[in-house]
Amino acid sequence: MGKYVLKSLLQIIPVLFIVSLIVFILVRVTGDPVALMLPETATAEDRAVLTQALGLDQPLYTQYVKFLGSAIQGDFGQSFRYNQPALELVLERLPASFELAVAAMFFAVLMAVPLGVISAVKRNTFTDLIISGISVIGKAMPNFWMGIMLILLFSVMLGVLPVSGRGGLSHLILPAFTLGVGLAAQMTRLIRSSMLEILNQDYIRTARSKGLGRMVVIVKHAFRNGLIPVVTIMSLQFTSLIGGTLITETVFSWPGLGQLLVVAVNTHDMAIVQAAVFVIAFIVVIINILTDVAYRLLDPRIKYD
Amino acid sequence: MKKRQWTGLWITLLAVVMVLSACGGKSTSTNDSSATEGTGSGSASTILTVAAATDIESFDPHNNNNTSSEAVLVNVFDYLIKNDSEQKKVAGLATSWDQVDDTTWRFKLREGVTFHNGDPFTSADVKYTLERVAKDETLKQNSYFKNIVEVKAVDDYTVDIITDGPDPLLLNRLSKMGAGILPAKYIADKGFDAFLKQPVGTGPYKFSKWTKDDRVELVKNENYFDGEPKWNEVVFRVIPEASTRVSELLAGGVDVASSIPSTDIARIEGEADKKIVKAPIQRVLQLIFRQTEGSITADPKVREAIDLAIDKQGIVDSIAGGAGIVTRTSVTPGNFGADPSLYKTSLYDQEKAKQLLQEAGYAEGEAEMTISVSAQYKEQAEVVAAMLEQAGFKINLDVLEASAFSERYSSKSFKEIFMIGIGNSLFDASNNYNRYMLEEAKGESDYNNPEVEKLLQSALVNMDPASREKEYQQVQQIFSEERPAVYLYQMEGVYGTNAKVNFAPRSDEMFYADEITPVAQ
Repeated sequence: MGKYVLKSLLQIIPVLFIVSLIVFILVRVTGDPVALMLPETATAEDRAVLTQALGLDQPLYTQYVKFLGSAIQGDFGQSFRYNQPALELVLERLPASFELAVAAMFFAVLMAVPLGVISAVKRNTFTDLIISGISVIGKAMPNFWMGIMLILLFSVMLGVLPVSGRGGLSHLILPAFTLGVGLAAQMTRLIRSSMLEILNQDYIRTARSKGLGRMVVIVKHAFRNGLIPVVTIMSLQFTSLIGGTLITETVFSWPGLGQLLVVAVNTHDMAIVQAAVFVIAFIVVIINILTDVAYRLLDPRIKYD
Repeated sequence: MKKRQWTGLWITLLAVVMVLSACGGKSTSTNDSSATEGTGSGSASTILTVAAATDIESFDPHNNNNTSSEAVLVNVFDYLIKNDSEQKKVAGLATSWDQVDDTTWRFKLREGVTFHNGDPFTSADVKYTLERVAKDETLKQNSYFKNIVEVKAVDDYTVDIITDGPDPLLLNRLSKMGAGILPAKYIADKGFDAFLKQPVGTGPYKFSKWTKDDRVELVKNENYFDGEPKWNEVVFRVIPEASTRVSELLAGGVDVASSIPSTDIARIEGEADKKIVKAPIQRVLQLIFRQTEGSITADPKVREAIDLAIDKQGIVDSIAGGAGIVTRTSVTPGNFGADPSLYKTSLYDQEKAKQLLQEAGYAEGEAEMTISVSAQYKEQAEVVAAMLEQAGFKINLDVLEASAFSERYSSKSFKEIFMIGIGNSLFDASNNYNRYMLEEAKGESDYNNPEVEKLLQSALVNMDPASREKEYQQVQQIFSEERPAVYLYQMEGVYGTNAKVNFAPRSDEMFYADEITPVAQ
């Protein structure tokens, strides 16, 4: 087990290296930050001075070697826009994104578990059909559109929840629900098929034939085992939530990593784009390892080689 | 064994959720309640909440280059000279100023002013501030101030500002971002990073809190030299998504919301307690032509045909929701050197455009050209292209994402035409015309007219306002004939407000909190 973790951790290094190389090249070939930083009336000379001051006049490989050298020491350069270390800005935003991701996951589980179990138990009935229908709609509905609709209903018309920004729990409800619905839709279907498979297993029939009540069998025997694949999916979804909340964060002006990244791309703030993508990649890799470990712990049939 | 692990996992997850939601709730619950209190009905409104689409960049007035930053920062930092709402120069931290000789101006400073930390404001602060922005080439405002050679502190309340040559724009420079006076002693004691975390100015509002991409919170400076400020607290919220900004206004979360999309104007006007207010801003949408030998647009007849083929008022009405003023010059009223005869007027004659194009030797569809435009003006460009095609042109529309456009712009690699909205933060015609001077025009428009060159060079150093104004007006008349650019319209800022505040937007797009007043109830 320890050996497995160590091996996985070592694999992070080449992954992050490749990510850094790709991001570095992409942000440099897509535009010139100097042009966005100076006023329209700046002269060619002003541009040359600033380009030099930022080290952007040097060849790409020199810039990359320099970048990599400092990145290893945790220095991802200064944000042009904020004039502050990029990594610091990215880390400042992580709690907001994390909070949103956890809350979205919470909503998703809250909705998906009962719906998934019910539709499995009542398979091929009218209830099952309705639940399947809802989850298809939930999956198909674009996040931003749903966000705007929820704002109109709960904030503008009913006036019960705040429109945007990060504040108390009440600010969390709409964006977390928006993000959670898509997830829940996916999880509902997964739980349904996983439960169906288990309900057909021999040990369930044995339990029933021993005279145990229907509810007892579903809750104590089937449900617990039915959740194993769901946990894996949950953690994988969580990583995509951390990086993928861009649109939802923008709609609700939630000051998280997604919004920082959107603004950084628009203003061509290279250091922030690099640091943010790097941090997201790092989180994804770590969570993947943790998922693997958790999965192996849960299911003893899987070997640790 | 298995069972225990399961339970453990669930408990951990639950604990994480609870801890996180508790953290989120606690840390921000205070500002949450204050924000709603201020905008709620009933009690006296003492909190002003303004929503903008973009956040400030930092509290360093020298290293900022966007209007939305300055709009906030003017409440914290004062200038030596202020622009009033009509862009007239009035006393700020300087009470009077005189020109000593061609390169020296003397300023008398206001006495008894203190910074927010209690330090007195003196000539040392002016010297530190202006020399920093003039000398540090990496600062974004440096290009506006680098002609200042030295700032001499004559005594505690008198300074001489010396420029490297005659500079008719010095007063304009001192009344814009980059000239916000910083506390020299505070920065010397604590360092610049500490200053950025806890900025201190002499302005009517003091820094309280900045949550990036969320809000800037300012509180009243009780000791402001110009009398007690009107609001106890001013909150600038960042809401990039336009529909969310509108919803926030409708739900009563903000008092003023800027950049209202034209499609939402009617919806806001339909609400009983909401208003739409507009004001022309310093930005003129225009087409700039390449006049390099061999380019189609080098032919004056083609340029005239383009001008005549475009129905500018039509674009204002259809795309801008009426928020625009047609013009034949980019030097609009309120800017030094404006020629009012060319303002609020435009030419449009499709038939004559077709005829001109024929005279220039192009049959229908033969005059092919590319218009490059940044995505933000995509709709306007599409309408322009359609109108030009109607007149017989063949247009390739090249819509670029903002940073790609910027790069092509600075590398001067557009083809026949690029479409751009150009602002003017100095309120002076030189800002509009420097690009047509030989040196700068090279490779971009390749505009070359010795007479214009002479006028522009002279106006750059002419210290006599009356004759300088004439020079720029002459240039405008020449431009209206030669058309190195075709002007579509001056844009207007569109704001939504609630009925509890009186807000008259300014052409410089600043939010001076004390110019926004609560409506007496």
